[in-house]
Amino acid sequence: MSVRTLKGKRRWLALGGCLVWLAITFFPLYWVLITSFKTPIAVVGGPTYLPFVDFEPSLTAWSELLSGQRGQFFNTFLASTIIGLSASIAATFIGAMAAYALVRFTFRFRLLSALIFVAIAFGGFLVGRHVLGYGQGISLIYAFVAALALAVISSRFRLPGPELGNNDIVFWFVSQRMFPPIVAAFALYLMYTEMGKLGFKLVDSYIGLTFAYIAFSLPIVIWLMRDFFEALPVEVEEAAMVDNVPSWRIFFGIVLPMSKPGLIATFMITLAFVWNEFLFALFLTNSKWQTLPILVAGQNSQRGDEWWAISAAALVAIIPMMVMAGLLSRLMRSGLLLGAIK
Amino acid sequence: MSQVRLEQITKSFGNVTVIPPLELHIADREFVVLVGPSGCGKTTTLRMIAGLETATSGSIRIGERDVTDLRPGLRNCSMVFQNYALYPHMTVAENIGYGMKVRGTPKAEVDKAVTDAARILNLGAYLGRKPSALSGGQRQRVAIGRAIVRQPDVFLFDEPLSNLDAKLRIEMRTEIKLLHRRLQTTAVYVTHDQVEAMTMADRVVVMNQGRIEQAADPITLYEAPANLFVAAFIGAPSMNFIEGRLEGGDGGLQFKGDGDVAIKVPENRAGKLGAFAGKEVVLGIRPEHTMAADAGAPTVKLTVRDVEPLGPHTLALGKVGQAAFTAQVHAASRIGPDDQIEVPIEAAKIHFFLKETGKAIGR
Repeated sequence: MSVRTLKGKRRWLALGGCLVWLAITFFPLYWVLITSFKTPIAVVGGPTYLPFVDFEPSLTAWSELLSGQRGQFFNTFLASTIIGLSASIAATFIGAMAAYALVRFTFRFRLLSALIFVAIAFGGFLVGRHVLGYGQGISLIYAFVAALALAVISSRFRLPGPELGNNDIVFWFVSQRMFPPIVAAFALYLMYTEMGKLGFKLVDSYIGLTFAYIAFSLPIVIWLMRDFFEALPVEVEEAAMVDNVPSWRIFFGIVLPMSKPGLIATFMITLAFVWNEFLFALFLTNSKWQTLPILVAGQNSQRGDEWWAISAAALVAIIPMMVMAGLLSRLMRSGLLLGAIK
Repeated sequence: MSQVRLEQITKSFGNVTVIPPLELHIADREFVVLVGPSGCGKTTTLRMIAGLETATSGSIRIGERDVTDLRPGLRNCSMVFQNYALYPHMTVAENIGYGMKVRGTPKAEVDKAVTDAARILNLGAYLGRKPSALSGGQRQRVAIGRAIVRQPDVFLFDEPLSNLDAKLRIEMRTEIKLLHRRLQTTAVYVTHDQVEAMTMADRVVVMNQGRIEQAADPITLYEAPANLFVAAFIGAPSMNFIEGRLEGGDGGLQFKGDGDVAIKVPENRAGKLGAFAGKEVVLGIRPEHTMAADAGAPTVKLTVRDVEPLGPHTLALGKVGQAAFTAQVHAASRIGPDDQIEVPIEAAKIHFFLKETGKAIGR
């Protein structure tokens, strides 16, 4: 049923309900906006609602923020932008390729191969650490390389035990998002520091944080893109195969353009996640590559409840995402597939 | 020379065998139609020729080449799909020329091929449009254009007209036939529509459960179906069947069937059919052969249940004994439901099949 089919009083009731809901959702944003223009006196002096009527707007908070009195604002903004964009683009791109492979090709492997990987990875680390006396970082690297190699080699043989397929792989990816991120963040921090001792600086570095975000975004990207690719008509790709178009050109020249709305939606979701991410940024950065959520949260802890300054910082964190969503939503329109089939 | 030879081809999906060993030779420049009910393996066979499915065993040769293990792109086939399968983000010209462009053909050559194809298919005015701005018939023409520029050894059509409306389907049928005559390229065409098969093919291959029931030119299929399946599948409305037995006697060989049917077997066929006296057989007669004018033709008693006036003639649907029976009667005849009418049968057009095996007998 559409609102348009309602008549008379019920129609006004529906409209009124929608307006109330709109007000509820918009009020916090409005409140943040006007607070960022209030003077400290106006904030603590009780609630005021209308600029120029209730209170005299002031640019104090904004000038303090932009002049750098409140931490390395420009630096943080730049770090957030660079990391956000590059991590989302890389995650969407890599995840799309993985999702396409999972949709169009059949993978089969034995559960035993996966268990071999886990056993060698953990066991190898412990052996390297306590028996052979290697450092943590070196043990980790050796153990993982050995585990991966052995798992791949073992999958060549007909091992006993249950067989796993594409759906199990997808579940494995998605399951990584089921445990609390703090588990991964803490482990990642330890791993990064160990790598740092070996000479690869990962904590508070562009590479470190971006890698972490790509890894943590991939499950969602693969899961979303798999649905988009599954909806594509396979005949279009088959037509290209018969026409002797190489696989990589089918993917880049035909599949990706056809799934543009999906790619953009996935990119937006990933970007929103990376842009707002707090926990990893808190653990893995300290000054140079600090991101906006850390800065905004830091406002409160460093200087106390200076709501005018926090509001200005929060708005700066929101606006780029709104602009991005506005620009990209035009490209997200459906109907791109029209004319391919039927 | 681009004949296609399927030699002892089989296809299984897991434990399910879709195609038992299948042998099919298609001559150079021949237009072969694979026809059969859904699930009979015709599309799987076509996809194996294209390389989109791999044969479980056996070999496929196109021309002199063994292509059994070649990937689709290297087989030099062109395929037209039921749902067109156009590239939605490219214009008509880009759709047609994409394959050539990817293979590194010089631009001038691609343009020329696209223009030629567009001229043949009357697409000249639409070259700059996207597929979404075309009608169904135009889209299928673009798909055919894409197939032509490949200059393939074999054209493969997978029910290309099934998504079009009835009128357009008849037009496109003729267009594809003319195109084949013009290009003289071997073509394999899959359809479930027996009219399409009959009207287009040099040779029709009737398939059922992965087996070839009969492969012959359309007229042979119609006049001399090899078994009950082909007899029932080819022709619309389909052939009537009456079960009964052949009995020898003083008056010569007679067919005695359910519903007091007694038909004397014509002298010229009695010789060959004599061997089957006493056997359970099925008599087949097409509705269009129930209007015999000559007096003394054998008749069956039809209880009419429905009447379908078609204009040139009228169909009387009903039962002879327990068997469903459709008779073609003169348009002028005044019959209605629940009437009992005597339907004459053209003795020369009667088919006999052995009930046990379904094979045609007495030919």
